[in-house]
Parts: sequence; structure tokens; C-alpha cells
Amino acid sequence: MTTEPIRVEGDFPVYFRYTVGVAGEKFFREIMENGRLMASRCSSCNLNYLPPRIYCERCMSRLEEYVPVENEGTVEAFTITHQDAEGNPLQEPVGVALVRFPGAYGGLVHRTIDVLAIGDRVRAVFKDKKERTGSILDIKFFEKIS
Amino acid sequence: MSKHLQKPPGVPLREEDFEAQRVLSVMYRPKMRYSWATGVAIGRFLKGLREGKIIGTQCTHCRRIVVPPRVFCEWCFRPVNDWVDLPDTGIINTFSVSYISTDTTRLKTPIIPAVIEIDGTTHAGFLHVIGEAKPETLKIGTRVKAVWAESTKRRGSITDIRYFKPAEWKP
Repeated sequence: MTTEPIRVEGDFPVYFRYTVGVAGEKFFREIMENGRLMASRCSSCNLNYLPPRIYCERCMSRLEEYVPVENEGTVEAFTITHQDAEGNPLQEPVGVALVRFPGAYGGLVHRTIDVLAIGDRVRAVFKDKKERTGSILDIKFFEKIS
Repeated sequence: MSKHLQKPPGVPLREEDFEAQRVLSVMYRPKMRYSWATGVAIGRFLKGLREGKIIGTQCTHCRRIVVPPRVFCEWCFRPVNDWVDLPDTGIINTFSVSYISTDTTRLKTPIIPAVIEIDGTTHAGFLHVIGEAKPETLKIGTRVKAVWAESTKRRGSITDIRYFKPAEWKP
């Protein structure tokens, strides 16, 4: 006697390609070519959006102006994860933090090194220029400034 | 398109635009695994397929036989647990001739998905594919017979039947 199958297992083959968009092009090309963060600016609301957006969410105006943002910021929130995105255990725990930057509205969520407290000052560490591909991973991580 | 919109908005993009990095993008494949509990009836049906049998259920009240099996009768609203072995022959209830595969690539040889009504069942059928047939020879009502995978390759799946092929009427 063979047993009855009690479950059917499968996998949906779904692929997608996400284009970064008008503001994303500015943001990621600036990271790739100059190792610098860029925000889009609404001068009437005096807001610098990071990551940049093409519309101001306060006054709905189209944003054409871009301003550089410092590569150093402050940890707003953080966690240390011992599992990857699929729940598999990691050999080394990974820090992840929301980093805010002076003069910028918004922030970035990224990997961190040595962050242990909210309020820690951190700095973006970029890959070598020839290794950059125009991705958020062109920033290797944010390291704590001692 | 309309008096306000003369052409579609947006920028058309080709694969080479991505390769040349004229636009930046992120490729991603989410892992979408699933595990679907078969329940009593389908579990027994799949076990039957592995053994090379088509198993249905029969309602003791209205005598109707269905396949795939169900544990209730949708006509009488009664529980059903009379299991019956059915032949692997039947008729085409409906079918389609598709030159596009399930992943949307174009096909030179079409696939022919069809709903098969197994002999002995009433108003019941399941979706499968037709093989060894020219599409133009098929009709609704064409008699078909299951072509099974080798017993060592059957694993309790609807694909344990490879396809249904047109068959002669043998009473």
C-alpha cells in the first residue's frame, strides 16, 4: 500500500524588472558615477526628498531641482537580524538601520556595521567605482563614525 | 486613443536599453513556493493516478459519479464516500487549440487543453491535454483514452497521465 499524497508542492515562476524611474535615474546614477546621495528639492515647501521623488507630496508641484546630501547621517531605528529574507539562519548577524540625513526629508534603509544605538552617527561606504552597477548595493553599508 | 491622448504615455523600452544601462533597473525573482493540502478526496484521486487508476465518488442518493472525486454531493448536499474505479476512457467536453505556451512563448506545434468527461461520470470533468491528434480532427464528443506515464515515473500527480489520445469506441 502506498500512502495518499497529502500535499502538492510547487513554485510560481515569476520574474520582474523594476525600472528606477525619473528620480531614481538621478539618484542611482549619482551614486554610481560620483558616490554621492542626491535629493530632489521643493523650494516652495523648503523640503529635500531622499530618496528623490518627482512630485512634492505637500504642494503637488513637479520637482526638477536636485541637491546633494551628505553621506553622513543618524540612525533613526535599527535591528540586528540573524535570518535572511527567507528565514534561513545567517552565519554572521546583519545590522539593518533606517538612516536620516541632515537637511533631507526621508531616509534610507540599509545594512550597517557596528551600530548599537539609536542616534549613532553613520557614514555611507561605497563600492569601488568600477564595481558599481547603479543599484542601492553600490553602497556597501553604513559604518559607525567613532 | 482619445482626443486628449494621441499616443500611449511613457517610454517604450527594449532589452538592449537595459543591457546598455540606458535605463537603470532591478531584476528580481520572488520565491513563490506553495504547498497545497489535497484534502481527502483529491489525495485519494492522486494516489489512484500513481497506481494507474482513475478514482471517482458516487452519491448513494442520486447515483451520480464524479471525477475528480468529492466528499459531498453538490446536488443532494449529502456526504459521499462510495469510491469507484473508473475506466481511463471518456469524451472531450470542450477543448482549445493554443499556439501560446503557459509561459507565453509562441509554439509551432499547438497544445490542446481539453476538459475530459470520464465514462460513467455525469456533468463532471477535469482539465488535461490531448496528444497524438491533429487539431482539425477533434470535435466536442471525440472519444479519448489516457496515455499513462511509466509506473516508475508516476508520483501522484495529474501529470501521471501524460495526455489523452483519440480512441476507438469499445463498448
